[in-house]
Amino acid sequence: MLLPMSRNPEEPVYNRIEEARTSQGLSRQELADKVGVHYQTIGYLEREEYSPSLVLALRIAKSLNQEVSELFSLTQFKKGK
Amino acid sequence: MSKKNKIYWFEGVTEKGVKALLSDENSKYKWLRPQRNRRVLVVLMALGLISVAMGSYWPTLKTNLKLSDGTLVVVYSVTAIFVIFAVLGGYTLLRISVRSIADAPDELLDERQIKVRNTSVRYAYYAMGYIVLALLSLMFFGPELKMFQPEGNDGSYLVIATLFTYASMPSMVMAWREQDI
Repeated sequence: MLLPMSRNPEEPVYNRIEEARTSQGLSRQELADKVGVHYQTIGYLEREEYSPSLVLALRIAKSLNQEVSELFSLTQFKKGK
Repeated sequence: MSKKNKIYWFEGVTEKGVKALLSDENSKYKWLRPQRNRRVLVVLMALGLISVAMGSYWPTLKTNLKLSDGTLVVVYSVTAIFVIFAVLGGYTLLRISVRSIADAPDELLDERQIKVRNTSVRYAYYAMGYIVLALLSLMFFGPELKMFQPEGNDGSYLVIATLFTYASMPSMVMAWREQDI
């Protein structure tokens, strides 16, 4: 039997990290360095394959000069908002 | 300025070693990153481990080689050494392929990597449980079923293979499961 892939089976946390990051001209590596995680983790977060802890969500929001509620949501963000 | 390289004896890694693998600074190992290549490595490693485990039974294999007993012993010994070193090389490549995340301590990883490592170690624990159960079953039923009766089997190959399996299982699980490392 094959083991399941490591997708997050929990309730997804939607986010606008990629949008906020690119608007500030930051690469994944640069944001990762600011937040103190590996650049692959930023990729996983942006693809919504990993839900961050509260501490990491707060650190990302601080690094992108945004409120947590502006970046993360339990419901999908409406386009253009 | 070179900072002192911290050695994690229990985990078998060094701070600089893990950081170098996490940083992509060495492009020499990029070919190990795609999941397909990592899975090929896992399969080869599994075959290598099985070969080592069966080391005691190699002399019982029938071959067409017309060699003297003394020469055959040398051939088997050299082959055994080669296979063990190949498995050792495979183990090293396997650790590199998963950036040593499977063995690294918490302080060198971020929260997602810690979660991935813990999941891999959990599955490796289950897998080792089944392997040990299978080995115990073989020990219990083996003689009665007359499955293996080689001469001079002291179980040393099986012990070496089990130790390698124990050490490499978390990396094997991680290399197989993770899409991006």
